[in-house]
Order: sequence, then structure tokens, then C-alpha cells
Amino acid sequence: MARVELITQATAPLLARDYFADGDPGPIAAALAQVPELLDVAMPFLGAALGPSSIPLRPKELVILRTSALMQCRYCVAAHTPVATDAGLDHDEVAALRDEMDIEAAFTDPAELALLRWVDAVATGKGRVDDAVAEGLAAHWPEHNIVELTVLVGATMLLNRFCSALELPSSDETLQRLARDGFA
Amino acid sequence: MSAVSEAIEAGDLPGRVWMYANYNCNLACTYCLTESAPGVPKRGLSAGEMIRIATEAAELGFTDIGVTGGEPFLLAHLPTTLATIAEILPTFCLSNATLFNDKRLDTLDVLAGKDFAIQISLDSPDPDVNDEMRGPENFAKVVEAIPKLIDRGIRVRIATTTEPGRLDDDDHARLCALHRSLGISDDDHLVRPIVNRGRAVDFGLGTTFTPEEIPAELCITADGAFWSPFGPTVLNGRVDTDLLVSRQTAPLSVPAELLRRAVMGRPHGDDVKIGIR
Repeated sequence: MARVELITQATAPLLARDYFADGDPGPIAAALAQVPELLDVAMPFLGAALGPSSIPLRPKELVILRTSALMQCRYCVAAHTPVATDAGLDHDEVAALRDEMDIEAAFTDPAELALLRWVDAVATGKGRVDDAVAEGLAAHWPEHNIVELTVLVGATMLLNRFCSALELPSSDETLQRLARDGFA
Repeated sequence: MSAVSEAIEAGDLPGRVWMYANYNCNLACTYCLTESAPGVPKRGLSAGEMIRIATEAAELGFTDIGVTGGEPFLLAHLPTTLATIAEILPTFCLSNATLFNDKRLDTLDVLAGKDFAIQISLDSPDPDVNDEMRGPENFAKVVEAIPKLIDRGIRVRIATTTEPGRLDDDDHARLCALHRSLGISDDDHLVRPIVNRGRAVDFGLGTTFTPEEIPAELCITADGAFWSPFGPTVLNGRVDTDLLVSRQTAPLSVPAELLRRAVMGRPHGDDVKIGIR
């Protein structure tokens, strides 16, 4: 049970109706629809940050799931566990991102390990990020990727806190998929 | 010239801006859109907010102001606020006219001679029929108040809200004879249907509509900006959101531009296809 009313197709404000055209848009959009002018700018931004882009889906889901686990966002971890699997991460990699096993036991690619160290520093640290972590990332990723992936960490954290604070519910479909994949 | 003012001038966007001055009321009419009654939360606009809205409305090219509630005249600041607003744009205010004792009438003198009208509800020429939906003694108070308002130099309009078939030709003729006898011309009498929102839902009253069937008049409330004064209705204590335009109401250009976009239509972007869940 969410802490706020989730707008439905029947109660959707005029400017939010596109998001409800195909039925339930999910609890994030359904909650944001209470403030349609915010939904109107937030969803395109979130879509640009979290959706398909010049960076392949695998590293993006690596960032999203790892950040969500670090932030202990139940909703986002549940939602992105199947997405990460569909993006090509194997069971151990997903489990490691979910903080259920050691990262270095699941990942060996230096670029991915550098990215995960960056995610850990950005999501959990305070103040400036350590030079060694930044230099490690820069050794494997071009600057424009670093910019985009850092925005991705921040956007995911925004969603993590939003979903956790408002106790947005996971869908039955997601919970069934987690059970099937052994992540229940 | 802004896109909003161009849309108003072209007739694409209505020129009227509404304000819900408050939601509380001394009556509890059966067809009330907002479940207004004594004791419901006021959720009012301050005098400063109302004047700011009118000022910005004029700057944006809107042409007139409508004020409604609740019963707006429960707000002590209302007469002087309306007098200020009427200096900015032609203004009218809806009222049940049951609060106008001599003391309160004195406070309305600031409105005399202004580009201002009070629109009073009177639903039937028969007191018992009128009072069935609007409450005891409503008819008597209204017919007593109207001549006093006119005597003080305040224009009065009559609004009759009714169900189809409830007011037959004879009723309509007697009602018109009544308002003429009170000094109100036919041009200042409007008949409108009960709308099936708010308390009318509980009583099974009124007609339904789609947004396309009602004017897209910008309506500002304490809960946000809405498409038409039929938008910020209340059912079971919650404000309906289906006609919500934005929560942000200041500056007025923000909801005005969003309403203009809704009225004019806009292309669908990729953002609606991503389906973030």
C-alpha cells in the first residue's frame, strides 16, 4: 500500500493522460501524476537517463541495480532484477549487484569493476570522490560516458528515495518473475 | 504578445479566469459540486493571492474574472478584494445571498458602481421546490436580498441550476416574472444543468460531460489550477484530479500555458512510449 494515492486512468489529470493511455503506467508515474506539471518533465528526464541511450543496456542496468541495492530501495531492486537479467547479466552478477554476494567474485571485467567502484563512491560517499576511483573509471570509460553514467547514478538515487519514502508497491508480475528467477 | 494572449484573442482559449475563493459554505445544497457545507475545510485563497491572480490574468490577456466557492462572502476580506479585482478586470462573484444582513450589506458598498456583478442562485419560483435542494428559508432570503443589492448600485444576475424537465414552461415563465419583478433583466438570468459531480453524485443528480464539452476556463484553487470551474469538484472529501491542469498556480502564466497546450493539442513525444515502471 503506497503512502500516497496512486492516480488511475479514471482520475488521471488531462496533461497526464498520455501516460495512462495503455492502462496502468506503474506506480512511479501514477504517484507523479498527482503533480502533472512535474510528471510532464520528470518522465522524459527519467526516460532519457534510465532508458535506451548510446551506452549499452548492460552497464546501465549494472549501475541502476547496484545503486538501488546500496540505497536499499526494495521497489527498484525488485523492478530492475529482471531487467538486469534480460540485459544479459548472469545470476551471480545480479546477486552481487543486489549485495547478496561479493562483487569481485562475480565480476572480472576491469571496466565494469571500475564502474562499480565509481557507483559505490558516488552513491554512498559524501563530498568529493576519491581520485583513485575517478582515475580508475577514466581509464576505461570516455568522458561523455562518465557524465551520463553519473547522471544515471543520481537519477536512480532520486527514484530510490522516492519509491522507498512513498512505499510504492511492486507489481504481482514483478514478484512472480523474481520467484521464477530465484530472487524471491 | 504571448502564446496565451494570442490564443485568447483568437478565441482558442476562453478569456475568463475563475477563482475558488473558499470551499466552506453556510449551506449544503444537494447538487453542490464541491461538497461545501458549514465546517468543511476552508481551503481559501488570500486577498493577496486573488489580487495577484487578477493582475497576472490581465497581463496575460484574459478578459474577465469569475469568483466562486463555497460561499465566498464568508470571507471577511472579500468585498474589498472584489473591489480591487474589479478595477483590474470585469468581475462577477457567485453567492447564495443568504448572508446579506444590513451589516454585511454595508460592507458591499465598496462594490457599488464597479464593473462587478453578484450571481445569485435561485432555482425555482416556488419556495418549497427551491428550498428542497438549497435549504430552509433560502428562497425568502434571496428575494429579500436582491432588491437591497440593486438599491446599493450592485448589478445582480440570477443563475438557475436544475435537472432536465424539473422546470417546465410555466415554472420558467413564473421564475422570469419573479426576477423581472426584482429588477433583473432576462439578459442577467441564466439556466444551467446540474452537473453529476460532487454531492450530486450521492443524490443521483445531474448530467455528465467530457472536457471537450465544457469551456476550458482556467480555474485557480488552493489545490491547483483546473480546466473549468467544474474541475475542482470534491467527492467523499477528496478533490477530483481528472481536470487538474497543474498544482502550480503562481505565476499564473504557468497553468495558463499548460492549459493552452492542453487545448491546442500537442505532439506525443517518445517519453510516453518508454513506459518507466
